Amino acid sequence: MPSADRSAPSLAKDQTSGGRVAHWPVFKYAMRLPIVIWQGLFFIAPLIFMVAMSFFVVRNYRMTEDFVMKNWLKMMSRDYFWDSYALTFGLATLSTIVVMTVAFPAAYTLAFRVSDSTRRWAVFLLIIPFFTSYLVRIFSWYVILAESGVINAMLSYIGLGPYVMLNTKFGTIVGYMTLTLPLVIILQTFSLANIDRSLIEAAHNLGCKPWRTIYRVILPLARTGLIIAAVFCFILSFGDFVSPYYLGGSKPPTLPILIIDTVKSGQQWPRAAVVAVVMMVTLFAVAFAGIASAYRRRGS
Amino acid sequence: MNRDRLLKGFLFGYLALVFVFIFAPILFSIIFSFNSDRFPTIPLGGFTLKWYETIWQDPDVWEAARTSLMVSISVAITATCLGFATAYTDYRYQFKLKPLYLALILLPPTIPLIIMALAMLAWFAKIGLSGQVVSIIIAHTVLTAPFAMAIIRLRLSQMDASLEAAAWNLGADQWRALRLVIIPFCKPAIISSFCLTAAVSFDEFAIAWFISGLNKTIPVVILEIVTGNIDPQVNAIGSFVFLTSMTLVIIAQVVLMTKEKKEKDHHG
Amino acid sequence: MANALVEFDSVVKRFGDFTAVETMNFTIDEGEFIAIMGPSGCGKTTTLRMLAGLEEPSEGQIRMQGQVMNQVPPHERDTPMVWQSLALFPFLNARENVEFGLQMRGVDAATRRRKALEWLDRLEIGEFAERDVSSLSGGQKQRVALARSLVTEPKILLLDEPLSALDANLVIRMQSMLTRLQRELGITFVYVTHSQSEAFAMADRVVIMSRGHIAQVGTPKDIYRAPANRFVAEFVGRNNIISGHVKSATAKTVTLEGSLGTFKLNLGERPKPAIGEAGQFVIAADLVHLSASRPKSENVLECSLISEEFIGSVVTLFLEAPDGSEFKVQVQERELADMDLKHTDKIFVRWASERAHYICAG
Repeated sequence: MPSADRSAPSLAKDQTSGGRVAHWPVFKYAMRLPIVIWQGLFFIAPLIFMVAMSFFVVRNYRMTEDFVMKNWLKMMSRDYFWDSYALTFGLATLSTIVVMTVAFPAAYTLAFRVSDSTRRWAVFLLIIPFFTSYLVRIFSWYVILAESGVINAMLSYIGLGPYVMLNTKFGTIVGYMTLTLPLVIILQTFSLANIDRSLIEAAHNLGCKPWRTIYRVILPLARTGLIIAAVFCFILSFGDFVSPYYLGGSKPPTLPILIIDTVKSGQQWPRAAVVAVVMMVTLFAVAFAGIASAYRRRGS
Repeated sequence: MNRDRLLKGFLFGYLALVFVFIFAPILFSIIFSFNSDRFPTIPLGGFTLKWYETIWQDPDVWEAARTSLMVSISVAITATCLGFATAYTDYRYQFKLKPLYLALILLPPTIPLIIMALAMLAWFAKIGLSGQVVSIIIAHTVLTAPFAMAIIRLRLSQMDASLEAAAWNLGADQWRALRLVIIPFCKPAIISSFCLTAAVSFDEFAIAWFISGLNKTIPVVILEIVTGNIDPQVNAIGSFVFLTSMTLVIIAQVVLMTKEKKEKDHHG
Repeated sequence: MANALVEFDSVVKRFGDFTAVETMNFTIDEGEFIAIMGPSGCGKTTTLRMLAGLEEPSEGQIRMQGQVMNQVPPHERDTPMVWQSLALFPFLNARENVEFGLQMRGVDAATRRRKALEWLDRLEIGEFAERDVSSLSGGQKQRVALARSLVTEPKILLLDEPLSALDANLVIRMQSMLTRLQRELGITFVYVTHSQSEAFAMADRVVIMSRGHIAQVGTPKDIYRAPANRFVAEFVGRNNIISGHVKSATAKTVTLEGSLGTFKLNLGERPKPAIGEAGQFVIAADLVHLSASRPKSENVLECSLISEEFIGSVVTLFLEAPDGSEFKVQVQERELADMDLKHTDKIFVRWASERAHYICAG
């Protein structure tokens, strides 16, 4: 039985409005409000303004505040927009499938086959790229994958190649993997490592073969974490412009490249805003679908 | 038994390959930065420092490095302060709108950078802050405050719940308890948060590229060189950037890990 | 007559729908060692936290030396506490921990240091003054926590189950240290615990709480020998509780008739019950005499032996009364050896009527 004596202090913390702390509200709000103001002014406001901007007009290279559907109608009626949308969505989906598949055996090994300290070190190593320049890493891939680059040079020793890898979907996926693979392995490792070992042992004990155990026991138990990893992978790939631009050749452009082109060359911010809003809606839908399926009860 | 060993061997080999894939671009970038060929490949050309000399003599790179340094230090300070206050609020208080409050803070990293870049570009133009160093600082703070909050919140959850009350009990008001108890307890997390937010800011290029105007940061300079043509200068700048970020990340990790290990040793 | 230091005046504390403390009235005297005891969830820690200002009463007043304390924030009170977790500041060494309270009061560094070292010496841990608190043993940490609370020379010290993490031997040593300290300093100790042995060993008075109510306040001896109600009787030690109806009553004694027979008991200070009222009485297991043959006296019960339990030189016999209820008896092992109970299936228990205490039904 939980002791009310022990839980009383934490309960007390909840009652700040009627409790002790009510007497020093300055402190409370000094802690609470700065982030609200900051994120309100510089995160929420810009996003709302961007949505509003998609209804503005551009006259004589100057943006005027207005409320017209012109930008939306224009973008929605263009084939290149929908080609770009299909390509971006397709590449992000492909990237998610590839990265999830490539990451799984690695995460499985880290979760079940190594000691705790090895796993900590591996996760530490996997965090490093997350905080190092993605741009430079992509440039490095550019050199490695080039027609006379490192890989083709090595293949030529055994009489293969050269293969064209730059300006292909393969190149783009390699780039996406550079961005997402470490994060996905970390998330998969955590969700696998959190599984109760005894359930897996029970399955083995009941005569479940290793492969079947993965399929019937491990995957369902780790489902929530795995779906969250996949959603992150999709979001990151969908929004990245560096890989499709430098490794994928940007023809046809993906949606993020479309935004850059529209902003940098045409001063058409409102149209770029249309693209951005469409991207956000897509990502919200994917994230929502992912979270809904992650927390859905089994069998319903 | 034998099959299991085979499987284990296969899995470890696979894991090694994955790590090679992840670290190959970092490694090659560093190797190529000392390589004399304009377009580096295998076999490697001669050893050279000329790319480093080029960037050393380039005033634009120096200017960008100064901007980057200033931006990332400012970002680290503001983001860590904001993250600390937020983490403390989450630790200490319950209130009705808390889920919304937390969502507001933790959401920015899930929005694609390119969208944030466009939104910030337009908003800063609207409020008259475009093309300034301070706008980069503001934007990067929005982006990195959630990291600061997460790191410090994790540390706070390891704190004995009576510790703060003990300080009040001994005569410290809330501010002094914060300064003399909470902040010292969170010090390793604060250092980590400082390093990691600085590292993120130091590497961020999409938003900086959109809103920096003439105040280019190092990643923006790299982006512009890369967009032009193949120039191994990038490898030299890149190696310098890697070195900086990695130093920051490693300091952050080591500070956190040794502190946790020490505490565990004493308790265990 | 000692002066009241703390008064609880109709204090109620609610957390949402949950009432932690219900209409509490009692006073704590100056220089008194008072223990608040009860099972977990009885409201004892909440009571202590209200004294420290960490919780504000929902209703009623808490007064200290006549002054209403309800709105006074914790840092403006002089009510240092020794925490269950000790709550030593891990980033400070032992001496710096002790100095904390003085620092908050603006005492200069030299005086702070001198006083901190004095207290550490007094608690026999002077040699560890510059050590990291994490490197100290449980008992040493305990002493640092005590020194930290006492260094400001408060009138009252609050202790929240401070010995619960220590092993049994250390608990005994810390108990005697605490009683000695309290006597030497002459200040009030308010000691919250769930351990009867700690409370009874140290306290001048014990407050027993149950579900937010005060069940009884009294000296350990009063509570042990004359529990006020069934809860206290059951919570405190090995007591037997027997029910019946009041047959007759005088100012001092009551005769109770029940399914086990008719018993004479001591009424103590209680108001005289009405004839025919349902009542109960308590007889402590160690105040009972045993015999193998029916004694010629009052208050006799015929039982059969169920089992025995040996703890050191004391034996607890679990007997069965004629109505099937359990009756516990505690005797010295040597006493038992003189009696030949093994070969008899009937055991007669008897007790002096002044040993049996009437309690209210329910």
